[in-house]
Amino acid sequence: MGRRRALTAPARAGALVRALTDRHPELAAGLWTDEDTVEITIPGERNVELLRELRDEPELHFWYLTDAAAVDYGPGERFEVVYHLYSDLHPSWLRVRATVDRGNPHIASISDLWPGATFHEREMFDMMGIVFDGNRDLRRIFMSPDYRSFPQRRDFLLPDDAADSAAAGVNPLERPETWDLSRFSDELTHGTDR
Amino acid sequence: MTAVDPEQRIPDPIELDRAEEARLHAALGLEPATAAPGEYAGFETVGIPDRPPQTEREREIYSLEEGEMLFNMGPQHPSTHGVMRLVVKVRGEVVTDLDPVLGYLHRGIEKLCENATYTTALTYVDPMDYLSSMHNEHAPAIAFEKLYGIRAPKRAEYIRALVVELNRVFSHGLMMGFLALDMGGITPILYAFINRDETVELLASISGQRMLFNFFRVGGVNWDVSDEFINRLSRWRVNVGKAVSANEALLTSNEIFVARTRGMGKLSAEQAIAYGVSGPNLRASGVPFDVRSAHPYSIYNELDFKVVTQTAGDSHARYVQRVQELKQSLSLIDQIVEQMPHGPVQAQVPGIIRPRPGRAYGAVESPRGLYSVYAISDGGPNPFRFRMRDPSFISLQVMPVLMPGHLLADTMAIMASLDPVMGGVDK
Repeated sequence: MGRRRALTAPARAGALVRALTDRHPELAAGLWTDEDTVEITIPGERNVELLRELRDEPELHFWYLTDAAAVDYGPGERFEVVYHLYSDLHPSWLRVRATVDRGNPHIASISDLWPGATFHEREMFDMMGIVFDGNRDLRRIFMSPDYRSFPQRRDFLLPDDAADSAAAGVNPLERPETWDLSRFSDELTHGTDR
Repeated sequence: MTAVDPEQRIPDPIELDRAEEARLHAALGLEPATAAPGEYAGFETVGIPDRPPQTEREREIYSLEEGEMLFNMGPQHPSTHGVMRLVVKVRGEVVTDLDPVLGYLHRGIEKLCENATYTTALTYVDPMDYLSSMHNEHAPAIAFEKLYGIRAPKRAEYIRALVVELNRVFSHGLMMGFLALDMGGITPILYAFINRDETVELLASISGQRMLFNFFRVGGVNWDVSDEFINRLSRWRVNVGKAVSANEALLTSNEIFVARTRGMGKLSAEQAIAYGVSGPNLRASGVPFDVRSAHPYSIYNELDFKVVTQTAGDSHARYVQRVQELKQSLSLIDQIVEQMPHGPVQAQVPGIIRPRPGRAYGAVESPRGLYSVYAISDGGPNPFRFRMRDPSFISLQVMPVLMPGHLLADTMAIMASLDPVMGGVDK
């Protein structure tokens, strides 16, 4: 273990950590840092409000959205939408992890704050099936429009794995148990598919 | 002679296809096209999906007013820089709206990497953005090293910086050629390929591969620089300027080139930031954001360089920006070779690594902009989540913003000035 560096909070991220915890003491519990990243965990419902504050407050000034990605922690667990932000005032990337309920994957779109998030959200919708309320172009982006599955979910198996799994014998690329979109078909089609 | 039994005729493959399609459609519960006539242009006319629009934006694009027309550029259009389809809405010769349709090259590389060990994941990312393979490997190498808690030796970091700058030189050089090619100028691409060929041969002499290098390792690089590489590098460094200045002489103040780039596809700084545009495209709009200086990785804080920017934000500024960055890269290469220390090029790392559970973000400045990897470890031998942010995927979003009001013939010229690579866009 000697060659591993300890993941301690570097002193230079201190100003940002202080600014964040002064404003939102409730975030302090989920705050985590490594050598060049400060990470906060927020409930999914607060993503727009907090990201707007991070962008517009002169003290924080995270003006550039570098990445928005979804993480699936598996069946029975949760989704996370992870935003990475950049500010030239602070020497760290800021990672904002917003938790999303896996049974009811809805979160507000941030495409009003950064229109560039539209493609990120389309990709997350396509790959993970997370519905971004308020995104006015929430279509599939890589898979074809009639595709019914979400290939980057943890329970979507690749053909190689399928041979050893309970799903052996079923065409794994089109597993019917992941087809059931009736729960949020209105959101998928904005009510035009009826 | 064998008599052919007419009862046993071979089934018509087209009939079989139709039956199979009907069966699949029934299984998927797809509804037949039921668009109201006159409002929504259907599959029959322009090759648009035969279903009602799914979103507000889709309805907006595919609904036509009097005098408007939709058609496809691509997926096999020769200058879409890969396989991609642009649905263009025109009124006469003037583009009024545009919708990029992606996914023709989608290979699911993120998922593949999640099913590979950390070391093998580094080989899958090469064919993503195939004009910046070294950068593609650099970002995950940084992220994995953060996860594993190890740093590459100094000499390895210098070799990394050297190869990524070489990669940047040929990528920007090619962009000059492709931009001209998309406007009908054949010659510059030939000069660009002279340079590119020499550079990939140079990189092959250090990595063993011409395009898919597989050169980076967790904790270092695969090979130290060889005598052959050093010989080639010094010869390359003497000659590299020639093809570039030949192209510059052909293009930069060429009357036709300037007429077709200056004032075209003007992107303001605010728009560029809002749409997440990065790299040379962002700096051409006047925003001095470069990961190499904003978050210095590798050894960039030991090198002397200044972020160059343009102010105009049009196609010509994006072209000039790349030429200047190319020259800057040459000066960086000189500095790197000058300062390169001796030592090992690979830290002691086992073949299969199991980082402690954690998360890491690694970002590099690729020739097309901010290229980043977000990797999550759950303690196992392969990444729990492997996410790549490709800059050209995000840059493409501004096409519907840039195009309205321009002539159809400028579509490809403006797209080429953004320099997207579809291998990266589609992952």
